[in-house]
Amino acid sequence: MSASRNRELLALVPVALLLTIGFAAVFAQNDNQLTNLSLSYGLYFLAICLATHIYIRIRLPNADPYLFPLMALLTAVGLVMLYRLDSELGNELARDQANWFVLGLILFAVVVHFFKDYSVLERYRYTIALISLALLLAPRLPLIGSQVNGAYLGISIGPISFQPAELAKIGIVIFLASYLREHRELLVVGARRILGITFPPLKHLGPLLVVWGAAMFMLIFIRDLGSSLMFFAAFLALIYVATGRLSFVVIGMAMFLAGAWVIYNTVPHVTDRVDIWLDPYQDPSAAGYQILQSMFAMADGGLFGEGFAQAMVVIPGTDAPLLPAAQTDLIYTLITSELGLFGACAVIAIYLLIAARGFKVALMANDGFSKLLATGLTTVFAFQAFVIIGGVTRVIPLTGVTLPLVSYGGSSILANFILLALLLLISDRARREAREGI
Amino acid sequence: MDYEPISVALKFGFLAVLYLFLLWIAASARKDLKRNRGGDFDSDATIGAVPAGSYDAWLVVVRGGGLEAGTRFDVFGGVTLGRSADADVSFTDRYASGLHARLYPRGDRYFLEDMNSTNGTLLDGGAVTSEAEVRDGSMIEIGDTAFRFELDRQ
Repeated sequence: MSASRNRELLALVPVALLLTIGFAAVFAQNDNQLTNLSLSYGLYFLAICLATHIYIRIRLPNADPYLFPLMALLTAVGLVMLYRLDSELGNELARDQANWFVLGLILFAVVVHFFKDYSVLERYRYTIALISLALLLAPRLPLIGSQVNGAYLGISIGPISFQPAELAKIGIVIFLASYLREHRELLVVGARRILGITFPPLKHLGPLLVVWGAAMFMLIFIRDLGSSLMFFAAFLALIYVATGRLSFVVIGMAMFLAGAWVIYNTVPHVTDRVDIWLDPYQDPSAAGYQILQSMFAMADGGLFGEGFAQAMVVIPGTDAPLLPAAQTDLIYTLITSELGLFGACAVIAIYLLIAARGFKVALMANDGFSKLLATGLTTVFAFQAFVIIGGVTRVIPLTGVTLPLVSYGGSSILANFILLALLLLISDRARREAREGI
Repeated sequence: MDYEPISVALKFGFLAVLYLFLLWIAASARKDLKRNRGGDFDSDATIGAVPAGSYDAWLVVVRGGGLEAGTRFDVFGGVTLGRSADADVSFTDRYASGLHARLYPRGDRYFLEDMNSTNGTLLDGGAVTSEAEVRDGSMIEIGDTAFRFELDRQ
């Protein structure tokens, strides 16, 4: 289906064009001139994307044509915003991020090369699950673990630091997809109806309880509401797709809410986070500072935004940040502030389109494992975007997960390109089989 | 605030290109959705990939029509039902019209259409107004004659 590859190629051109316009706008604002440096950055970006495109053309000729351009677009938006921050804060985050992007694409190629037959992942599901859990708990270990704002999300060994939850999310989705593929009948067959609600058989309720327990455990030990919500949502999506029972989802959500309520009342860090979310004005200059500044900055954006490099990131005349962690947590705020409601809606639309393409992959896939894996990966990706966008807009408590592919962060970029590789592998197989009429 | 015309132009240019790009992708995604509908968890057939009417389907006579109960008619590619000798499934029933109804595949599903018959067609006890999807085991009744529809999805 070279038609779909040609569409992918065509889609990469506007992505590179957007990156060029973005860089040009930042240059124009900072130096009052248009240099052709922005053009060469755009061409670099296009060249890297073209190399990946050619690789996809050879290895995955039938894969979904839009997933890669959409993800490249997110990276491009992130690069422009990071470059804009660099020019004000004097960092080199954009250059680092560009390097991570290239590394991410190399990792993408490696995964595509070695996991062409991704069903081998099913065989190692318990190993994958154990490694993922170990990764999740690693930030609590002495020496390598590190705490940021009370949540244990990162580990650092020497100069290298990364967020293991980013990689663990993929491992856990692989495990859940494979486990549910095998046990879904058991969950449905023995189900009983009590008071009009279908309950799974008690002895098979085990996995549900284990995953619920794991999510609660994460909430206590890692103290991060966002990632535990993200994992649990992916699990509920998978169980819904596997069994077709809405009641399981309702029961699961009730369990999560009940558990979260108990933990809110017992774990001080979680209590603080939720209290600040409910009433940021109780401590406007310290704990509530970030979320309040985020809201004000977004309001500043208006409909069309203040323009590239025009939002106030540091308090004028000082080095004190007006938008704390603008390169990670608050990057969505920065986009809203500079590109307005329209820019913010476009970013959300990119995530929606990726989710739509991902579920399309799941619909087209022919076997249960592929369907569940594609559903799980898409859900976890989309939910991560929801958790952080919801956090900065005060829909849910603000947590430290990254805005996928836009926020600064190597582990996030690498993990999301592994995720893309798996989605494209599933898509390639499904569409090839569809074409051959199997 | 410094409103450089060039950076304002670039900002709106950025938004315009971004929206046009997203609209283009959304439009193609919608076209895709129209092409492929439905599909359940373990459907061994890929959605949209099955050529029309590739499943084996039969009409089995249940009673009446001057036909022996249990007689099977192959519905390959669609059939017409009626009293006329031109109908693919021709039967004798005083309430049946010449060309009473037709049964045809679309995608991987089958539909029943009443062809303006005098006395109407019943599908699973309900009158068929224009067209209705028939499923494995559906009962089709025309006058005193009844057929059972069988769909074989390997």
